[in-house]
Amino acid sequence: MNRLLILFSIAFCTWQAAYAQTRTVTGKVVLATDGAPLPGATVALKGSSTGTTTDADGNYRLAIPTKGAVLIFTYISLSTQEISAGNRAIINVEMSENPTLLNEVVVTGYNSTQKKDILGSVTSISAAKFKDIPVAGFDQALQGQAAGVQVAQSSGTPGGGVAVRIRGNTSISASNRPLFVVDGIPVFDPTNQERSGRSFGGQNDNTLTFINPNDIESMQVLKDAASKAIYGSRAANGVVLITTKRGKANSRTSVTFDIQRGVVDIIKKVKLLNAPELLQLQREAVKNAGQDPDKRGLIAGVTDGVNTDWLDAILRQGIYQQYQVSASGGNDKTRFYLSGNMRDEQGVQLNNRFTRYSTALNFDHKATQKLTLNTNILLAFTRNDRVKGDNFLDGVYSGAMKSLPFYAPYNEQGELYSPSSANYAGFPNFNPVGQAVLPRFRTFGAKILAGVSAQYEIIKNLRLNSKVSLDYNNSEEDQYEPSSTAIGGFLPSVGGRGYGVYITNTTYTLLNSTTLTYNFNLNDKHHFNTMLGGEILQTRGRNSSASGRIFPSDDFTYISSSGVQDNAGSGANLNGLMSVFGELRYDYKEKYLATVTTRYDGSSRFGNNRRFGLFPSFSLGWRISEESFIKKLDFVQDIKLRASYGFTGNERIGDFTYLGTWSASTYSGATGVSPSNLNNPLLQWESTREANIGLDASFFNGRLSTIFEVYDNLTNRLLFNQPIPRTTGFGGFQGNIGAVSNRGIEFTLSTVNFDRSATKGLRWNTDLNFSHNINKVVSLVDDKPIFRGYTADGVSNTNVILPGYPLGTFWGLKFLGVDAATGNAIYEDKNDDGRISPDDGQVIGTAQPALIGGLTNRISWRNFDLSVFFQFSYGNKMLNFSNTTLLNNGVNLENNQVVAALRRWQKPGDITDVPRYELNNTFNNFHSSRFIEDGSYLRLKNVAFGYNLPTRWLNKVKVNNARLYATAVNLWTLTAYSGADPEVSTLDGSTAAQGIDFFTLPQTRNITVGLTVGF
Amino acid sequence: MNKISKNKNSPIGGWGAVLFLLLLGSCRDVLQPKPIDILADQFVLNEPADVQTVRLGAYTAFRGTTSPNQGVSAQWIMAGDFTADYTQANGTFTDYQELANKQLTAANGVVEALWGGIFNTVYLCNFLLEGLPKVPGVREAELKTVTAEARFLRGLANFIGVSTYGGIPKITTTNIDANKIVTRTTKEEILASVLADFQAALTDLPNGRVADGPAIFAAYATKNAARAALARYYLYQKNWAEAARFATEVINTRNYELVDYQAVVQQDFTKESIFEVGYTLFDDPATSSFSMNNILVGRREMIPSNQLITQLTSRDAGERQLTIAFDPRNQRGSDNGWTVQKYGTADQNNNNNVIFRLAEMYLIRAEARAQQARIAGADGALADLNVLRTRAGKNITNPAQKPTLISSATQPEALTLIERERVYELAFEGHRWYDLVRTGRAQAVMSAFSPNWNVKYETWPLPQSELQRNPGLGAQNPGY
Repeated sequence: MNRLLILFSIAFCTWQAAYAQTRTVTGKVVLATDGAPLPGATVALKGSSTGTTTDADGNYRLAIPTKGAVLIFTYISLSTQEISAGNRAIINVEMSENPTLLNEVVVTGYNSTQKKDILGSVTSISAAKFKDIPVAGFDQALQGQAAGVQVAQSSGTPGGGVAVRIRGNTSISASNRPLFVVDGIPVFDPTNQERSGRSFGGQNDNTLTFINPNDIESMQVLKDAASKAIYGSRAANGVVLITTKRGKANSRTSVTFDIQRGVVDIIKKVKLLNAPELLQLQREAVKNAGQDPDKRGLIAGVTDGVNTDWLDAILRQGIYQQYQVSASGGNDKTRFYLSGNMRDEQGVQLNNRFTRYSTALNFDHKATQKLTLNTNILLAFTRNDRVKGDNFLDGVYSGAMKSLPFYAPYNEQGELYSPSSANYAGFPNFNPVGQAVLPRFRTFGAKILAGVSAQYEIIKNLRLNSKVSLDYNNSEEDQYEPSSTAIGGFLPSVGGRGYGVYITNTTYTLLNSTTLTYNFNLNDKHHFNTMLGGEILQTRGRNSSASGRIFPSDDFTYISSSGVQDNAGSGANLNGLMSVFGELRYDYKEKYLATVTTRYDGSSRFGNNRRFGLFPSFSLGWRISEESFIKKLDFVQDIKLRASYGFTGNERIGDFTYLGTWSASTYSGATGVSPSNLNNPLLQWESTREANIGLDASFFNGRLSTIFEVYDNLTNRLLFNQPIPRTTGFGGFQGNIGAVSNRGIEFTLSTVNFDRSATKGLRWNTDLNFSHNINKVVSLVDDKPIFRGYTADGVSNTNVILPGYPLGTFWGLKFLGVDAATGNAIYEDKNDDGRISPDDGQVIGTAQPALIGGLTNRISWRNFDLSVFFQFSYGNKMLNFSNTTLLNNGVNLENNQVVAALRRWQKPGDITDVPRYELNNTFNNFHSSRFIEDGSYLRLKNVAFGYNLPTRWLNKVKVNNARLYATAVNLWTLTAYSGADPEVSTLDGSTAAQGIDFFTLPQTRNITVGLTVGF
Repeated sequence: MNKISKNKNSPIGGWGAVLFLLLLGSCRDVLQPKPIDILADQFVLNEPADVQTVRLGAYTAFRGTTSPNQGVSAQWIMAGDFTADYTQANGTFTDYQELANKQLTAANGVVEALWGGIFNTVYLCNFLLEGLPKVPGVREAELKTVTAEARFLRGLANFIGVSTYGGIPKITTTNIDANKIVTRTTKEEILASVLADFQAALTDLPNGRVADGPAIFAAYATKNAARAALARYYLYQKNWAEAARFATEVINTRNYELVDYQAVVQQDFTKESIFEVGYTLFDDPATSSFSMNNILVGRREMIPSNQLITQLTSRDAGERQLTIAFDPRNQRGSDNGWTVQKYGTADQNNNNNVIFRLAEMYLIRAEARAQQARIAGADGALADLNVLRTRAGKNITNPAQKPTLISSATQPEALTLIERERVYELAFEGHRWYDLVRTGRAQAVMSAFSPNWNVKYETWPLPQSELQRNPGLGAQNPGY
């Protein structure tokens, strides 16, 4: 932001080209980022041939006309500056990289390079792109910003899970999440069970929300082998490098305040039946089963005497607020960045709230000419007040969707109905309001992310860099369900009288990485950039849990007061990784480029002889624009063709799965051992072979730039819990079987459509990206289907893994329609055996989209700016699994139904897509393509409107800059999906069973206003 | 971290040396950490002290654990009771709706879980049978006993398997690769192997000591447990003489007594138990899918069917009515308000699964004798029935409400009485469906109970997943 302001002020400077006498001006040119002197910078007098270059210390001296002189400062890879000399005798200049230009320095793993020299597929996302959006974690900020990056928030729960997939799904059972690296520290990003000790019905606590997005300067998404093989073992799912903000050398201390406040609403409420409609439907279902509805107490005017809209009862408008103060500055030796942040979001469900307190300190000190010391410290504390969700019978949103409108949350005295009340509906109609407000589900999280590093320049251009870092994560879950809730009071097998749980979980990673880099030139034509490094990483964890039951009363809510403490445990785990790696970059006249990287990794998760893996990559680049025949074309800034080929790995599975192991078990009070895992000494790295071809081009002074990429990745030796016949005594073991391929194309286009910003006029630019990925399971142990997802009625499961089909393929019967004569469902008899059985199950769709993308338009005019961001997903199917309950054709009468039930078959001749309702008839409700829907959507993800207060007002109150803005998230969605939201996924983090909506809380619409004030 | 800042001014050689040592020194720690809280295969059965822990593992496998959700005992009870006419579905789990509504499919979770539990138990038994002779220093007596226990549990698992699924693969080793591609063995061959296991177990199992109390005496296999298993085995094979002989042997040891029926319903380890698999507070299955308490009481996925309620509340059921209880608060819609009482929670001390108890021995002997046309008299079928009826009326003060004692009956009448008595006595202990199938009464009884009944339901389907993973299993059971 600051850089932009500088640029603007420079651009607005007016000048007169009139010479008279000459005088001498002196000054020093330094690099803005760290204050290092810039030797060899060109200082020229505009409109003349006069000029000089800076000396070894960055100093210059130049004779200029006394009046109207304008100096032009240029330096390779830095943005050119024009400065009007005025009457000044000393003109010191800070030169900085221009982030919109090719010279932008891009962090690439353990090294950095200029954008124009990058041979890999890297997308940079600067903080400017997400600064106004009230995201909780940086993973959300990636959404729609980069081609090939698919981001979906699993639900509207604040602090909840976000699925990030880079170039498709590479793995079946090992994690598919990319590696997130913050300032060189890989951050703890657990798969489902590792962090949260207790399931919350699919929705997990997201550890990435610990890192405040406002502290982030930029993010780099590494997508192909050339860019990420340096992270070898853990890079197969892509790598996201996050660089946090740091102070700038020789800059005055600036202090910035940020305030955001807003409201949060659910984006859509599913339309459910009201009491009279439901009663009529239930009576019909009972009659169709040949029974008398009156005998079941389904009597009009009585049963539907109460008509509760349960969704209204448990939903609310949440309040969102965020406050941040940050300060940064530096002199020629020391730089700092400091921030403190508080973020608080109330969920749309009663009693659901996520609060984060965080602070960051980045400090850099130049001890001597050769030695630099850095530290970055990030501390965060979160409190998450959770409510049970999704597939929980006693969940809040799920309960509200299912509960019959015939019951009320409160009695005549205004008290919540609870298990002790006479009219408590009981299983499965627990009182969702009570389930929201009565239990205590608090998750407290703490994170320390700290690193200390030192760089030492041994001889010129030979640098040693060593970093020791710690990533410490702690969570404590403090839970109590009083006797007025389902678990605490209704289910004696669990609670009886109150149920308390306390779980602690600590995981920390210690890391040391050391690199040696050396750059040299031969004949000024051959440029070499070499790096050698080593890394040791060790992760340890500890956990404990306890639960208690039978409390004296609900005034006692901690386990010490419980009568029975029957479930306690503690444990520990550890794993480690040791690696050496190297990189050699070469270019000839910056025209022909080549890079080789290799990493050799050892992981504790594999068997003795299979522990080490080698991950090499090779890449070549040709900057066509450096060729003389292109150089002649004025409108071309850059054209680069690049290709890469290499290997990356994945080791994100459980510890010790290569060992055959037994664990403790008990029988009648005695302790024995039971087998828990079959051994597999051959267990080894999952390896992805990646090939990528990319074309970068930039025209018309950068007003049109485009990136086009094609890739072909093949993941081999899949880490896969391979099912085996149970006649072995086991259901499966951790193996390396099969292959998955991802092939795709990505297209990014950035244009400046209109630009009068120099005169404070209109500027309009557009960023567009879209990507197409074909995911396919190439081979498995054999071609038999492997079932995943939920168990389903009438067929085995909702999901299948089959060679030739993508991951996330849905399985079920094929629904052909409703028999107009009988009202029964017609399914395809696939094996033609004259009846419908699980053998008629078939593939009925895939959750993989054909096309995803994002479109951002930014318009600025005078002090106003507007950004409009659309995001879309096309061609993916959703499984509306909620409807197996909410459109259940009368299997039971315990659940409310969606309005689609109103168009059910009622009498012969009815043409409809909803079979008839008949009590206890499961046939019509078999899992079939009837529940598969088109999940394509176009979403107005974010609109931000800002106003920069005029400087002349601000100067009076000694304010440097001030900006007022408003943003709206998830404002509008275009979709054919009949559920609440096509973006959700109940099995957060699942690959094989993605895109299932099972009472999943939809996204929220956040409308926020904010104020930023800088001093 | 301190180390780094202290060294900041040290020469580069120092840096390098420190890092190099750090790398070398920690290599082993980092890459070869010792497993925590789990035992690698090679340490499981290699010294005499391990024998008892693995033996307990075999019992655990048969009983079932919550995670992984395996075991035999609970799923076996579900097969016996839920496939028959005892229950109606009252919840949302499809597995139980399918069972209650007689719409069982090969994809049913209980079908797969019982199958998995059977072969997991067989694996552990085979592990013991293969490994025990190789462990140096095991006392001969212990070797004999544990071998016999393994054969008893393996026989029982296979017996349940063959009664439920028909012919199943015969697994006699722990060879994973071989066991992946097994084929089905005929029913006869499995039954022969079951008999061999039971007989070998009977020879070497200990008598057990009544003085240890039922919590020990009935929790582990004894000679009487093997006799009880053989009595049931022969009853199912219609070998009436042998069935009666083994039942009589158990009864005559006088190690067991008929306790108040209330205790049968409400307590673990009564003095009537011959073999009972036990849970404690710590390993109680609580809300897991195959917790009898969770399904019958907690969630009430399954509630007693109306016709069973009529039978259990009749005069002749007597105190056995306590098997179920009525709560008007539950009564609404199709919910009749009745709940099964035999499976309580962990702290109610009523969460075990009873496999054999004395009353069944009387019923086996009664049926065997009736089949042999020994109806009346001191050693006739009716005498054994009257023993149970007397017990069932023991605490009923009004003589007009006590179950009637039977003095005479024709053979068909006696068999009908015994069938009904088994309902009164053994409801929700896993017998009904197996009884109806073995007596050939399934078609008649079940067709009257449910219009969906089909003769195919006389055996369970093989699990769909299993057929897919091992095509060698061949064809699905007819009709599925």
